Amino acid sequence: MNTTRRQVLMFAGGSAVGVLFTPAPWRLITDTALWSENWPGIPAPARGEIRTRFTNCPLCTAGCAVRARCVGDQPVELAGVGGHPFSRGALCPFGIVGHHLPYLPGRVKEGPVKEAAAAAADGIAKCRSSEFVATLDLRPGRTASWTYRRAMKAIKNGRYVAPSVDTQVAVDLSKARTVLSFGVPVLDGWGTPGNVNSARAGFRLIQIDPVESRTASMADRWLRVRPGSEDALAEALAGQIPHAAAADASGLTVSEIAALSKELEQNGPVLVLGSSQLESTAGTVVARRETPVPDEWKKAAPATALASLPDRSVRVLLIDESMPGGYLPWNAIARKLVADNPVVVTFACSREGYARHANYALPVGVYPEVAGDIPASIDSVAAAFRIAAPLVSPPHGTVNPEAFIAAAAGLSIGDTLRERADAIHKSGRGTLFTYADRKSQAVKIVTADDFWKALNAGGCWIDEPAAKASAARLTFAAPAQQQVEESELPLAIVVTRELAPGLPLLSKVYQESNLRLAPGRVALNPACGLEDGSPAVFETLLGKCSVGVTLDSGIPPGVVQVSGTPALLDLCGDGARAKVVRA
Amino acid sequence: MTSANKPIRSARYGMTIDVDRCSGCGACIVACAVENNVPPAHEGATDRKGLTWIRVYKVDNGAEYPDRRTAFVPVMCQHCGNETPCVHVCPQQAVDIDPATGVVGEMPQRCLGCRYCMAACPYHARYFNWWDPAWPAGMEKTLNPGVTPRMRGVVEKCNLCHGRWHAAKEAAAAAGKPDTEPVEYTPACVEACPAGAIHFGDLNDPASVVAKEAAETESFRLLEKLNTQPKIYYRSRNSWVRQIAAAPRPGAGKEKNRG
Repeated sequence: MNTTRRQVLMFAGGSAVGVLFTPAPWRLITDTALWSENWPGIPAPARGEIRTRFTNCPLCTAGCAVRARCVGDQPVELAGVGGHPFSRGALCPFGIVGHHLPYLPGRVKEGPVKEAAAAAADGIAKCRSSEFVATLDLRPGRTASWTYRRAMKAIKNGRYVAPSVDTQVAVDLSKARTVLSFGVPVLDGWGTPGNVNSARAGFRLIQIDPVESRTASMADRWLRVRPGSEDALAEALAGQIPHAAAADASGLTVSEIAALSKELEQNGPVLVLGSSQLESTAGTVVARRETPVPDEWKKAAPATALASLPDRSVRVLLIDESMPGGYLPWNAIARKLVADNPVVVTFACSREGYARHANYALPVGVYPEVAGDIPASIDSVAAAFRIAAPLVSPPHGTVNPEAFIAAAAGLSIGDTLRERADAIHKSGRGTLFTYADRKSQAVKIVTADDFWKALNAGGCWIDEPAAKASAARLTFAAPAQQQVEESELPLAIVVTRELAPGLPLLSKVYQESNLRLAPGRVALNPACGLEDGSPAVFETLLGKCSVGVTLDSGIPPGVVQVSGTPALLDLCGDGARAKVVRA
Repeated sequence: MTSANKPIRSARYGMTIDVDRCSGCGACIVACAVENNVPPAHEGATDRKGLTWIRVYKVDNGAEYPDRRTAFVPVMCQHCGNETPCVHVCPQQAVDIDPATGVVGEMPQRCLGCRYCMAACPYHARYFNWWDPAWPAGMEKTLNPGVTPRMRGVVEKCNLCHGRWHAAKEAAAAAGKPDTEPVEYTPACVEACPAGAIHFGDLNDPASVVAKEAAETESFRLLEKLNTQPKIYYRSRNSWVRQIAAAPRPGAGKEKNRG
C-alpha cells in the first residue's frame, strides 16, 4: 500500500483536531503554569522562628520607633510602634524599607583602611600651624558627634565642622494656629511624620513655594512665588519694605500680600519656617534642654561652619556620611582643602556621595547593622535619646568611624553610648518608654542597667518638659544669590528633598508610578520644548551632567526642579541658575 | 474547627480612604511591596508595565494657578462585590471571591497570563508580571516568609493582605475563638499610612469604623455607575475630588519611563 502525501496531511490534521477533544492539551496548559511556579530562578523566602524586635530608625532626625518582624535574626518587615508618644506608629517610605539598606546595590564593601589610617596620621603630623585637621559631621548632635568634637579638641588645629543645625532649638506645633512655611517640606519629611500628622488639624498651613511641591499641594493655601523672592516677601510681611516692592519681586499681587499679612495678624500664634526675616510668635519656637552628657565630654571642640574656615587651609578632612544627612556641595569643601596633597577620608556606604572625590572611601556598617543614637528632631520640644539598636551583623571589613577618628586623634574611648545613657540616668530626669509593653516609667525608679537594656531592646528616653520654656529663634541659611545673567542660564533651580540612596523598592514611587522625582532627573514645565523622558544635559556655573527630563505642569516656566542626588547637588552649589538642553 | 450548629457569619472586608489626608508619600506602595514580596522595578519597567498592587495617582482639578488644586488617590483592587468583571472573564478560574471575606483573590498557579482580567478591570488595578522576580544580591533574605513570590507571566493584584488574614485566623484558632466569626487584622498599607488616611474593617459590621465612614455623604466609590459595588470607599470634602470617581483612570496619560 502506498501512502500518499494527501493521506499523511489528512492524518496529521485529523490528529490535531482530535487531540483538542481530549483533556491532554488543556491539562498541559495548566501544568505549564504549575511548572513555571517552581522555576529555580524565583527566590524562596527564608524560614525560621518568627520574632518581633524593636529599634529606632536613624535614617533621619525623626528617629521613629520601629517594630521589626524577623525571621530568626533577619528583619523582613518594619512598621511603626503604635502608642509611641511622639512618632505615634508612623513610619515614612524610607523607614519602611530601611532593612534593605545592607543590600544596597553598589554598597562600599571594602576599602584601604590601613592606608587611610596611615595617610591621616601622616597628614596630621605634617599639619602646619596655619592648616587644619577637620571632621565633617553630616548628622550633628549624636553621641558620635561628641566623640568627633572631643577628638578635634585633642588634635592641635582640629576643627569640628557641621552643617548649621541648632540642636537645642525646637518648634512646638501644638502652640501654632498658623504655620507659614517658606519652602520647608512640612508635610513631606520635615519633622516627625506621626507628630506632624497628629498636630495637622490644629494649624492652618500656608506654603510659600515656587513649585507645586507635595506640601504646597496639601497646604491650606499655596502662594507661588518667583524663586529667590522669599526673603523679599518675608520682609514685606515684617513691615520692612513696601508690599509693592515684594509684589514686584515675588510675582504676587499687592492685595495677596496684604491679605496674607492680615491673616497672619488675625490667626496667631504664627510659626514661621524657612525664613529668618520674619519672627515666629513667642511660644512656638522654644529652647530645648540639652540631652545630658558626661561632664568630661563638655570640654569638646565647638562646631565650626565650613564657610568660616579659610580657603586652602584643611590638610586632613575626615567625613562621616555613614548616615543620611545634610549634603554640602563638593566645590564648597574642595576650596577649603590645601593645594598640595590634602588627605580626604570618607566613611560611606555608597559611592554616590563624597566617595567620588575622597582619597579613601572606607566601608561602614549601616542601619540596622550598627548601634547609634538619634538626637531629638526639630518638632520635639523635649530632649530625647533613642538608640538604633542593631538587628543584624555588619559584614566583615567595615569600619567604625567614631573609633577611627578617635584613634587618629589619640583619644581613648570606651562604649560612648553606654556612657551617655549612664549620664542621662544619673540626671534622673524624664521617663523611659518601652515599646514592647508601651509603658512609660520615671527614670528615677529604673536601675542604670535596666535603663541601658531597655534602650537597646526598644525604648526611648523622653525628657520632662522644662519648668518654663524659654524662647528661641530659628535660623535659616540665606538662599544662594544669582550671579549670572538670566539669558545665559535661564532656569532658577529648586531642589527637592533627597530620597534614600538608591534603595531598590523606592523605585515603586518614581519609576513604576509618578509620585516622586527619580534620582538623576529634573522636572520642567511642559512648555520647555523637551520631551518627557528624554535625555538632556543639566548645566550650571559649576559644571554639567546628564539627566533625564520629567515634564510636570506643577513646575512654572523658568524653573527647573532637580532631584537631590549628590551629583546634581554638587552642580547647584553657588549657582542658583541653570540651563537644560537636549542631549 | 467550624461548629456544625453555628452558621458562619460572612465578613465583607473593605476600606475607606480619606483622600483629603493622603499626602502621596508612597508609604502604602512600599509597605505593600515589602509585605507581598513584590520585586523592585525592572530596568525596563514604566508606570504602565510596573508591578504595584496599590498605586497612588496624583490628580488635579484641571485649573491653572491660583485655582489649581491637587489630590492624591490611592487605587488598588476595588474588590467588586457585584458582577466582578475579572472573575467573569478568567478562563482558568484563577480569580475567585472568598464568600467568607468578600475578598477577590488571585491564584497565580492557575493564571495563564492571558490578561483578559486586566482588560476587563475598569479600575486598572491588576498588573502583569513582565519579568522574572529579582531582588539585588542578598535582599532575598528579607522576603516575607508568609507570601510566595510569583513567577513571570502571571497577573497580580491586591488581595487585602491574604497572608495577614490567614495568620489572624490561625491566631484566633490557637486562642480558642470560634472560626464562625470574622477576624480582625490590618493590611500592610493601612498599617503603614503615616497620615492615618486608610481605615480597614468589616463593612457588614455596622459598628465598624469603615461601615460608618462608608455611609457618610462625603464617601464615594470609583466608577459607581458600573454597579460593580466596590468595597473600597473614598472620602473627600472637595466636590471636584468626588467627581473624579467618574473618570476612567485617575491621572491617565501616555506611558512614561521615570527611571
